[in-house]
Amino acid sequence: MATRKKMLVALFAALAVASTVVLPLSANAANSAPKGDLIFVRNQDFATFDPDLAQNDSLFIQEQVYEPLFSNLQSGKGVVPWLAKSGSVAKDAVTWTIKLRTDIKFSDGTPMTSADVKFSLDRATAGDGWGFLNTAIGSVSTPSADTVVIKTKFPWAPLLADLASFSNSILKANFGGKTAAEFFKAPIGTGPFMLDSWVPGTEIKLVANKNYWQPGKPYLNSVTWKYVVDDNTREFMLKGGQADINEEPPANSVASLKASPNIKVGVFSAAASNYLAFNVKVPALSDVHVRRAISYAVDRASINKVVFSGLGSVSNSFLAPSVNFYDKKTPGVQFDLKKAAAELKKSKYKKGLKLELLIRGGNKAHEATASIVQASLKKIGITMSIKAQEPSVQRATQKAMNYQMTLTAWTMDIVDPDELLTFGLSPEGGTNSYYTNYVNKKVIAAIKKGQVNVDPKVRQAAYSFVQKQVAEDAFMAFTINPPYIYAWRSNITGFNVNPMYTYHMEDVKKN
Amino acid sequence: MKRTGDIALSYLTYVGKRLLQMLPVLFGISVAVFLIVHSIPGDPADVLLGQNATPEKIKIINHVLGIDRPLIVQYFNFVWDLLHGSLGTSFYNKESVTSLILGRLPETGMLLAGGVILSILIALPLSILAASKRGALRDQLVRAIPIVGLGMPQVWVGVMLILLLGLKYPLFPVGGFGNTFPDRLRSIFLPSLTIAILLAPILIRSLRASMLEILDSDYVLTARAKGISNARITRVHVLRNALIASVTVLGINIAYLVGSMVVVERVFAIAGTGSLMIDAISRRDYPIVQGVTLYFAFVVVIVSLITDLIHAALDPRVVLK
Repeated sequence: MATRKKMLVALFAALAVASTVVLPLSANAANSAPKGDLIFVRNQDFATFDPDLAQNDSLFIQEQVYEPLFSNLQSGKGVVPWLAKSGSVAKDAVTWTIKLRTDIKFSDGTPMTSADVKFSLDRATAGDGWGFLNTAIGSVSTPSADTVVIKTKFPWAPLLADLASFSNSILKANFGGKTAAEFFKAPIGTGPFMLDSWVPGTEIKLVANKNYWQPGKPYLNSVTWKYVVDDNTREFMLKGGQADINEEPPANSVASLKASPNIKVGVFSAAASNYLAFNVKVPALSDVHVRRAISYAVDRASINKVVFSGLGSVSNSFLAPSVNFYDKKTPGVQFDLKKAAAELKKSKYKKGLKLELLIRGGNKAHEATASIVQASLKKIGITMSIKAQEPSVQRATQKAMNYQMTLTAWTMDIVDPDELLTFGLSPEGGTNSYYTNYVNKKVIAAIKKGQVNVDPKVRQAAYSFVQKQVAEDAFMAFTINPPYIYAWRSNITGFNVNPMYTYHMEDVKKN
Repeated sequence: MKRTGDIALSYLTYVGKRLLQMLPVLFGISVAVFLIVHSIPGDPADVLLGQNATPEKIKIINHVLGIDRPLIVQYFNFVWDLLHGSLGTSFYNKESVTSLILGRLPETGMLLAGGVILSILIALPLSILAASKRGALRDQLVRAIPIVGLGMPQVWVGVMLILLLGLKYPLFPVGGFGNTFPDRLRSIFLPSLTIAILLAPILIRSLRASMLEILDSDYVLTARAKGISNARITRVHVLRNALIASVTVLGINIAYLVGSMVVVERVFAIAGTGSLMIDAISRRDYPIVQGVTLYFAFVVVIVSLITDLIHAALDPRVVLK
């Protein structure tokens, strides 16, 4: 009897233990199944799954399907291994060994190996679109299935940041036996989602990748990006519950969105800068005092208030504060009409002059900024006319350098400042210093120094010099660092945008 | 009296002639659009490559797209493709232009049909109401509708309808087209109503004027003298004859709407052919601009032809030549 009693007690005890162990496990299993269909509304139409041709319209969506070896930190100040386990450089400073994770599978269930990495990096390096990021890469070899060795042509500090770019996403080797065109219609990646359907001009829908390597992720069953051009319609769709996340609502709608029930607004720090660019080959603008006078006369606080409802920040450097190696001590010219007048007196144009500002027609931010600049310049004797051109025409005019002054902007794609500094200041960028014709050999030398030195202190010194020098030369007036604005319904959690303007949808839940 | 067979033959001959006449029109439009599109400053490669597009890369992409060739060569390539049933491939998303246009037809077709049906449903009773007693209060009120209706911008009407029937009383979706047919009917209601609110005033003005004119005619007086009821006179004699003029008015406005629905499409996030055209212009996607323009021209000619055929069917005095 006693034995039977003991057996019953033991049985109950076992059941009790089982209930505490098994039930949470089954609950976990249920929770881990992707659930919820999330809808984005955005004013950009998805264009391509080819990473080499990706622009803002496509890259955020591509990043949910493909992944790179390294990923940008949320702070925007560094990278962490992602599909890679580690990355290190040898003493020769040109041999990089990348160890790969061995638990990564593509969405078709096949494992990712070094062959896929080599194929992807070789293709990216040869690309006409973003291949310039990989100009330092000399060769990629694959000593084993989980090891990749990259040899750079010269010491190249930004390599890991470059490898974290969407353009270096890992695709299936040889497009899985398909042609490039076929592959990009039905892409296979290692990302948390895979393509379900795409109707150009309407929407693109991704569904959860069951083979995703991060346990329990993604949380969502599907994500759909709908192309909705009109700002008001996107806001109405969010408020009416037809959309879960609104990408880039206008800054002036933030107050009304914040006041709406069930809506949250995120104002994220951006690695982005707005500029008033000078064509320094224009005789008047070849005079540094004229450029400085104009820079001093730009009322940045008013532009921030009018255009960005005060949500941006006044810029004082060629680099945005959220860019690695930004130096807040760089003496960027700030609004001061007295100093503006004094600078103009030092120039050949003491009695004033006439200039023209090229802007994008129909762009409210450009129009408002131009009006504020025009009013300020009038006070120091500069008569500025405004010439509006259709956006594509404005870009063409800017690139042909047939302008005097224009409004331009930049958003970082990688965490390393080299991308912007090379593109915007070095002849290697191929843009005549962002189409301004500005040349400063000391600046170019400092950029080179920053590229070839992996020591952060050496790089910081070089980049601080660059920021200080270009501010003094005033080849552009640094105006505003705009924010990234998103609005979402309050049942959405885990949504974050990093300064490179990208987000991880595998972390997002719809409750 | 003509036999039915003769009438059918004359209709077929007329339709055949009109379709043949369409060819030089489409050819002229294709040449004009081709030249205009290629003369606009801006670069498709610049759109594709974005802010990183250096002049060197733009040159490479332009070569890949074939737009560095002489214009005449590009035009003949376009015509050659056209003769082989292809409108080309989009520079932007590499999709076939024909399939992109065909993909937008359900949206555009339903929007247009919904707008026309609702505008007729609004215009018919109001016109009859107004014409039934010239100068009365109801006539004055209905006459005010065109003045107010034509003065309201499409965007404003659309936004007001969204605020009222999409958000305050959420009876209809705010935007989008839906995935199932019932969803689509619901989605299309507010944009169709927006079109109808702007189209109905034109119809009301035309119908009311025609009905008043017919009501003064001798045969209506004779019908009244015979003791035929007002309802029957209106239905059988007045409305049918008044519709003849209004069909032409409606036809012209449908043709106009085909090219101008983009505002409604934008407000209600409906991806119709208008939106396709506007996006293609801003992206310098030449094949789409050329393809959609040809499609618009084709639709306008077809609508005009259908209008003439309906006109002839309603009015036996009209002879199709």
